[in-house]
Amino acid sequence: MSDKPKVKVATVWLGGCAGCHMSFLDLDERLIDLFKLIELTSSPISDLKEIPVVDVGIVEGAVCNEENEHVLRTLRKQCKVLVSLGDCAMTGNVPALRNQKTLDETLVRGYIETESTHAGEVPNENVPVLCKKVRPIQEFVKVDASIPGCPPDADAIWYALTELLAGRKPVWNPTNVRYD
Amino acid sequence: MNITLTIDGKKCTGTAGQTILEIAHANGIAIPTLCYMKNLSPWGGCRMCIVEIGGSPKAVPSCATPATDGSTVVTNNDRLTHLRKLTLELLFSERNHVCPICPMNKGDCDLQQQGYKFGIDAIRYPYLYPTFPVDLSGKFLGIDHNRCILCTRCVRTCDEVEGVHTLDIGNRGVKNQIVVDLNTTFAKSTTCTNCGACVSACPTGALFDKNAAFHGPLTKCRQVRTTCTECAVGCGLVVYTKENRIVDVFGDNDSPVNHGHLCARGRYETWAVQRDRITQPLVRKNGKLVPVSWDEALQTIRGETGKLSPQTKGLLVSGKVTNEVAGAIGKLKSRVGHIGMYVADHEASFCGEPAFASDAFQRINDSDAIILLGAEPSRLQGVVAARIRTAVRKRGAKLIILNARTSDLDAYADVVASVVGVERAFWNRVGATLKGTKRPVLLYGPNAMSPVGITAMEKLIQLFENGSGPAVIGLPTTTNALALSGAGVEAVDDVSQWLTGGALRAVYIVATDETDGGAKVLRDREVVGLLKGFNYVVVQAAYNSRLTELAHVVLPALVWSEKRGTITNFEGRELPVSPVLEPHGEARDDKAILESVFA
Repeated sequence: MSDKPKVKVATVWLGGCAGCHMSFLDLDERLIDLFKLIELTSSPISDLKEIPVVDVGIVEGAVCNEENEHVLRTLRKQCKVLVSLGDCAMTGNVPALRNQKTLDETLVRGYIETESTHAGEVPNENVPVLCKKVRPIQEFVKVDASIPGCPPDADAIWYALTELLAGRKPVWNPTNVRYD
Repeated sequence: MNITLTIDGKKCTGTAGQTILEIAHANGIAIPTLCYMKNLSPWGGCRMCIVEIGGSPKAVPSCATPATDGSTVVTNNDRLTHLRKLTLELLFSERNHVCPICPMNKGDCDLQQQGYKFGIDAIRYPYLYPTFPVDLSGKFLGIDHNRCILCTRCVRTCDEVEGVHTLDIGNRGVKNQIVVDLNTTFAKSTTCTNCGACVSACPTGALFDKNAAFHGPLTKCRQVRTTCTECAVGCGLVVYTKENRIVDVFGDNDSPVNHGHLCARGRYETWAVQRDRITQPLVRKNGKLVPVSWDEALQTIRGETGKLSPQTKGLLVSGKVTNEVAGAIGKLKSRVGHIGMYVADHEASFCGEPAFASDAFQRINDSDAIILLGAEPSRLQGVVAARIRTAVRKRGAKLIILNARTSDLDAYADVVASVVGVERAFWNRVGATLKGTKRPVLLYGPNAMSPVGITAMEKLIQLFENGSGPAVIGLPTTTNALALSGAGVEAVDDVSQWLTGGALRAVYIVATDETDGGAKVLRDREVVGLLKGFNYVVVQAAYNSRLTELAHVVLPALVWSEKRGTITNFEGRELPVSPVLEPHGEARDDKAILESVFA
């Protein structure tokens, strides 16, 4: 094993379904090789929740609320290279479907009108304020690389991370990219 | 005139008037496209096919730029790639292209494929996230404007191929969207024929077939080429199947008959409409039809009819059966005294001397005047109607319609008459309309054989007496009636007369996969009573109907997608019918059933 210091990585989970993090775990035994090269610091799948200074920041999810934006901006400050992981971070994707409705319509549909809800109400305490529109992260901060996919499969994540570790920006083509 | 130009360093020849894209494609040089579609007028709207021409600083759309002799064209360099990426990013940012929830995901979307090809990931423009409606009111197709890139392939197809121009672009600027008629829905459209050509043309998931959506990507389906057996046109089909069910049906672009175009019957009604399929042989016991084994059904038929003399047995077949079934029927003549084919009204005399109209489509395409006499292509042969519309609307052909029933074609006609008499004024008007036409075509259907039709035919012939007559094209209603008639299966003019004419006591009706289950046989009201009076009625059909309810034995037949054989279309082309699916239930092939019953 080389003496090179490990690359510090932090990941965050904004407005998304956690599928991209699940797909990251689908790296399976390749995780062992990966963790020889990187150190995972704060992440939804680790215990550390405060974002330290890191080399690479990885973002799953779109910016749906004020907290998402705060976390995103914090990560951007703390990392050298910021990577969007998956379609929600990259395009808004499924969370952005609500952009076709007003915020009120969305909340009423989600918390009151759902078929399984009885006497529901829209929560307004201890929850972050929703943004009027869901937006991809590159509309808030500079993004250095993106991994498309909903979720990106483990091979795409592996390809992108190994390229980044080699100091190259991943280049997508029909053999390694999917939007679904 | 031939021209030569250099494309990406390669000497390419073409004809003057051809576009750069056409010449490049013909010479094996790929240029990415989105709004371009072969056989449609160029649009030049998407800007994916841009190229550089030596001496000009502008990038021009190769699909809409005529090639010039001696020019030098570059189709691919860093600048063009950069511009194409910008184009794609603008397209992605403009609407709500959410791949994971789109039915064309995983291979069926040209926009997605171009995105992959150019490695588009995070885009540099802010997403507009507009709010666009979804119209699911169509019988077979839906449109989600959120996925539309305004390439107008649907608009041009609707206008130039189907000829109805239901679709167009409405509104201005970023609010541009495809509109149906004067901004109504598919359900309320008065012009849409449900031909589905717009869906075939759509490069994204904006237009989709409701019955195919979310049944898996077509790129992963098995593809089988076969022939539509719904009418006598004989359009080529490409059927997409998965796990022994049909996912979607499209026209075969390589078919010399329809060149990829279909009507609602061929494109949708054969698979997207639920029908009451017969899956097992049925035998009447104590007044009720009950499922039995094939052996029992065949034994019952033999037991009941075996002792009957041939003269008391009748075989009445649908004009929809294949040529191979006709061959099997020919061998039964010694065992069955009366063999006939049931057809549409007046179609028997139409079949009298089977006349195939070779190159009919070419003649319609080339014509400068079309006379429709007792034919209803709009209702019965949608692809022929499309050719007539485009001949009139795009090439200014005259149209004269002499038919009892009205149709949408009336709107395009110069003369329409539902009742034809001998008045001089009327025929003068017809004559004036046809005056000076060089390539007239007369399309006549079975109704031309009615007394009124014959009068009109005589009048028309008089009009042409002094010049060269029109090309005459017979348009049968029944799929294979002309060929079956030619093979010696006589068309029956009057079914009740045929049933009472001989000493019939048992009748065997082959309705095959007639969509009405053979109920057409009962068109004359007396037929029901006559059939009830027979000792034995066997019906071989794919679908339950009023006819099968009258039967003593019902034998399950294959449908179009399970058959193998040939049919002969109205042009006289023998076309292959290939099985797309495994037989449903215990259904068997028409010919095999006849052979085992009469073994």
